[in-house]
Amino acid sequence: MAYVSMGEAHRRITEYLNRFCDAVSYQDSSMLCRLLSFSSNSPSLLSLADALNVFQDASSLIRQSDKFSEYGEILAHLFRSLQSYRVGNLVEAYLAFEKFANAFVQEFRNWESAWALEALYVVCYEIRILAEKADKELTSNGKSPEKLKAAGSLLMKVFGVLAGKGPKRVGALYVTCQLFKTYFKLGTVNLCRSVIRSIETARIFDFEEFPRRDKVTYMYYTGRLEVFNENFPAADTKLSYALQHCNPKRERNIRMILKYLIPVKLSLGIIPKDELLQKYNLHEYMNVVQALRKGDLRLLRHALQEHEDRYCIVAVFLRSGVYLVLEKLELQVYQRLMKKIYIIQKLSDPARAHQLKLEVIAKALRWLEIDMDLDEVECIMTILIYKNLVKGYLAHKSKVVVLSKQDPFPKLNGKPVGS
Amino acid sequence: MWLRTIVVDTRHTRPLLTHHKTTQTRDIPITTVPTNNSSNQASHILSLLGRIKTQTNGGYQTTNYNNQSAGGYPSTNYSNQTNTPNQGNYTSTPYQNYTHDAANTHSSTVATTTTPVHYQQSYQQWPAYYGQTEVPCAPGTEKLPATSAVSQSFPVPGVTNETPASNGQPAPSYAQPWRQETDLSQPPSQQPAAAVSASNDAYWKHQTQNQQAHYPVPPQNHYQSPLETKPLYETPFQGHQRATYPQGMNSQSSVHQAPLGYRQPTQATPSVDTQRVSKIQIPTNPRIASNLPSGYTKMDKGSSAAGATQTPAYVSVSMPKPKVHATPVPEPGTLPKSLCGFVERAFARCKGDKEKASCQAALKKVITEASDDGTLHTRDWDTEPLSTVLNTDVTNTESSSTLISSLQNKSPTKRPKSRWEPLVEKPFVKSASTFSSGVKFGGWNQQNQNNKKSFESFQKADAVTDSKPTYSWQNSKPAYSWQNSAKKSFQRPVKRQRFSGGAATAIDDEASSDSDKDSTPSAMSFATSAEQTKRRDSRSKRFEKVQGHSRRNDIPRPNIANVGILHSRRGTALRLGEDFDESGCRSVEDIDWNALTVKGTCQEIEKRYFRLTSAPDPSAVRPEDVLEKALLMVQDSQKNYLYKCDQLKSIRQDLTVQRIHNHLTVKVYETHARLALEAGDLPEYNQCLSQLKILYADGIEGCSLEFAAYSLLYITLHSNNNRELLSSMSRLSKEAKKDEAVRHALSVRAAVTSGNYVMFFRLYKTAPNMNSFLMDLYVEKMRYKAVTVMSRSCRPTIPVSYLAQVLGFTNTSSEGSGEKETDSMEACSEWLKAHGASLIADSNGDMLLDTKVSTTNLFMPEPEDAVAHGDKNLDVNDFFTRTS
Repeated sequence: MAYVSMGEAHRRITEYLNRFCDAVSYQDSSMLCRLLSFSSNSPSLLSLADALNVFQDASSLIRQSDKFSEYGEILAHLFRSLQSYRVGNLVEAYLAFEKFANAFVQEFRNWESAWALEALYVVCYEIRILAEKADKELTSNGKSPEKLKAAGSLLMKVFGVLAGKGPKRVGALYVTCQLFKTYFKLGTVNLCRSVIRSIETARIFDFEEFPRRDKVTYMYYTGRLEVFNENFPAADTKLSYALQHCNPKRERNIRMILKYLIPVKLSLGIIPKDELLQKYNLHEYMNVVQALRKGDLRLLRHALQEHEDRYCIVAVFLRSGVYLVLEKLELQVYQRLMKKIYIIQKLSDPARAHQLKLEVIAKALRWLEIDMDLDEVECIMTILIYKNLVKGYLAHKSKVVVLSKQDPFPKLNGKPVGS
Repeated sequence: MWLRTIVVDTRHTRPLLTHHKTTQTRDIPITTVPTNNSSNQASHILSLLGRIKTQTNGGYQTTNYNNQSAGGYPSTNYSNQTNTPNQGNYTSTPYQNYTHDAANTHSSTVATTTTPVHYQQSYQQWPAYYGQTEVPCAPGTEKLPATSAVSQSFPVPGVTNETPASNGQPAPSYAQPWRQETDLSQPPSQQPAAAVSASNDAYWKHQTQNQQAHYPVPPQNHYQSPLETKPLYETPFQGHQRATYPQGMNSQSSVHQAPLGYRQPTQATPSVDTQRVSKIQIPTNPRIASNLPSGYTKMDKGSSAAGATQTPAYVSVSMPKPKVHATPVPEPGTLPKSLCGFVERAFARCKGDKEKASCQAALKKVITEASDDGTLHTRDWDTEPLSTVLNTDVTNTESSSTLISSLQNKSPTKRPKSRWEPLVEKPFVKSASTFSSGVKFGGWNQQNQNNKKSFESFQKADAVTDSKPTYSWQNSKPAYSWQNSAKKSFQRPVKRQRFSGGAATAIDDEASSDSDKDSTPSAMSFATSAEQTKRRDSRSKRFEKVQGHSRRNDIPRPNIANVGILHSRRGTALRLGEDFDESGCRSVEDIDWNALTVKGTCQEIEKRYFRLTSAPDPSAVRPEDVLEKALLMVQDSQKNYLYKCDQLKSIRQDLTVQRIHNHLTVKVYETHARLALEAGDLPEYNQCLSQLKILYADGIEGCSLEFAAYSLLYITLHSNNNRELLSSMSRLSKEAKKDEAVRHALSVRAAVTSGNYVMFFRLYKTAPNMNSFLMDLYVEKMRYKAVTVMSRSCRPTIPVSYLAQVLGFTNTSSEGSGEKETDSMEACSEWLKAHGASLIADSNGDMLLDTKVSTTNLFMPEPEDAVAHGDKNLDVNDFFTRTS
């Protein structure tokens, strides 16, 4: 840390205080944002932090002037947080920031107009980021990480402040998204429900009125929730909305959306083009898509099964929650396989092509190095028929699947399996 | 003691009151009970006293109150105020106030008394003043909203990190700031306005500042123009009506300091005797501001009794100072200052709490008599023999104490209390309330002692500095004396905090030793280290007493202890404090986990489970070696599950109570979990599993993989929660996935999610460990699904023999002997019929499932063993076997 003289420190602090008060009195939201965003690591903030560490008694500076002391509580906590942040004590920084945020929200509540909404966004964002960092620090110290949880409840409070009539309500969705991020990280996804309910049912909210950025984020997260619930049509709508409305230049965001949208689409029978996968670097889905195209069960299982080299991919699938979705694609692969057999049979013997012997299917599976006895094959065939992936019936006695002559392998066409 | 101060104040203030030039506002917590006759004056005083006492115990600075009596009010109020707005702040702010008070007190009691009055004046200046003067007082304290009240509320210089710099600095020049203030001192008009606009945060902020500010200010006032200083706090005495700070007051403001506390405020204020109190402003809590009509505007106009009609919990009374130095004509409703002196003298003679109490009672009697026969103002109190009030029996004490104690009883339930808040009075608690209540507020008792001690020590201090206090304003103390006293008082809070801090981490020796270390000599000039040790001794003694004495008192503790075990033990004082803030019903700070751990002495191997309703009795708790035998006994027992479950639960309880976390614990839980699985007792199984997870996570060896498999199966088959499933799958390590049981569980999961019934029943037959028991619970569902699927997909028929084989009715997948096969066939067809399937016989006499008919007719029958209350374990017969 560079040496900062006392006078210099004093100057910097006073300058910051002046800026802060000016920003508030002129309702200069962007300035306020700059003054509050820790994680930007902006040089001015860093130098301020140094100054604070030199000039220990900043609170007396705040107190000296009416102008500052009006926001004394806000500023004092902010300073303390910044100080701790600068010296790397993230837990302390978080605690102070939380108090700052509380004070700030109190103040924000008093401002009639929503001018400081952006600044509030920054506060919400920063507190989440700080909490995550603080938790990391806590974990490395062998303590239980709990700050993010605390941040979650604070964000919930902020949501309460915004969720009302008036111009501030458009900010509610941003806070909601921050809450989603928090909850997803914490693994307490069920907590999202109450927020979603109020967003979607409360009359004060008109969804289209929210900023596009927030709408996309919101749709992304609710879409993911629907993936968890295996409610694929709903997930499809939400994720597609997110995809359509997101900034096309943000490839990372698009990739994040596609990571969920592709499995959803696949389970609805819609297969993406390879270019798409390549463009957004979604190689993990390549094999899955191939397997679906070819009816290659082995490939699918390989893609999903853990091998030493692919272990990470499986872990990714598991963590992101699409594993179970992808696993369910197996039935579609079976369908594809049967269709292939059917087509081949049709070539050789069109008259009896609609009768698929279980033996034959088992043989085909053996070629794919999948060993199944007839009972199992029969079981799978019954499931396929039951789920309407194959039309026809299974003659148990003769161990033959008798396919319907009309459209024996109906396409899903955007409907989920089994509907 | 307290009285003394009061009296002093009264004497000086009253005359002044009338002549205040400047409007002074001050918050007086008036839960006014309108009392208009003179006899009530006595009760006023007494209630005041009680109130003061209460505050004393409140855990801030006892001393302040004692000396300052009147001053006490405002401060309490303030703390209340602060609380509401920024929930965090309250602790710190009031604290500071106290500090100031203390300072004032030392130098000149009079000054102190007045101090609180002025805050509005100072309002604007305060920052400046504050910056300079208050530095020694842990700058930054005020700003700390105490989320975790414990750590931050008392940022005393040097103690915590939060108090940044300048700890060591002596109070800088006082004179200057004061002067500034004086110049500026005008009642800031903003404030009332702010008060009106409800929930105006800014207002609150101001308030806070005011609080802090006003203390500093008054001394200055006095200093410069001694004549003007009329301690407004006296108002209560003048207007009898206002004066009654009855129990209600105490209960509301002091007891629950919660925001709620001062919502109640609107109690009818008695009609004030208007001329005198010409401008009484009652700025209330903004939240209740709506209730308050005009009031504020009148403030400066001198309209009489402006706000008087409403009494908020705290009332700030702004008094105009019409003339300078009016003659102190005793008016009805005011107390003659000589009387005050008398009372003060009386209290000064009292040594113990008891004496004080009795003295108080006697005083009350005397004053009431005097006012009844009209001699209140005529009698020469200066010559009145003290013997009349001293040495009387402690008879009347209860009446006053009961109020408080009853109030106090309410308080804990109302809201979480931290020891940091002003508490309800202690001495009274001891005498009047049962010990059990004392235990409940564990912290408070300790506090009690602390307070008492500090209180006493402060008295001593008093004696030293002010042995012959100069009460008149004219003698306004030279600045240096003030400074001195200020220093002392500044330290004072530190001390207190430390001590309470030590108490908070009762177990935490480190912490308490820290506190000793930190205490500066000057701070402790009165409280010697010997005293400290004595204090600590008495504290620990008390603790023993609690434990040994009546077990009942301990009731809450074991529970807490259990909780503590569930949670991690690493709780620092801070964490505890936070927990406490959240859960909030007990002062967790005081729980000594180690001391609460029971060491069992029971040698009986067999013990029935009984859910604890009181603290565990060591003689009924089995030590570890006996528990080990008990476990073996249960494992070898031939009795039914209910017996074993009962025994295991009692073993678990004994383990928990003794906080045994080792292989034995794991073994017990594993045994119980397996038995529960075997018996299909899922609730019990779940309890065990969640404990096992914690134990495994602590690194205690056990069959973790086996139980990982169980938990995987459980999630797959019974909780139907994809997210949980995913997370537990992703948590499996590579090694775990190689384990047979885990692999099996994973395959079962795959079979279930894909609906592969053939696979499922194969796995069912080859299940390792007790996996099949968990699968058992899913078999019915799986079979039903399978039959549904098959009857829908297969045409025209399926032989029952095939179904029996596929659906796991046969014992092995390979065809067994004919007899077995027919058995399983029969079982299968029974099952099919029970589920509505239609069976037909073909020409060979083999049973076939008619799929087409069955498709529409299949149903899930009600389980035969279903009972109305839903838990077959509650079966009457079982109940009898259990109880017999």
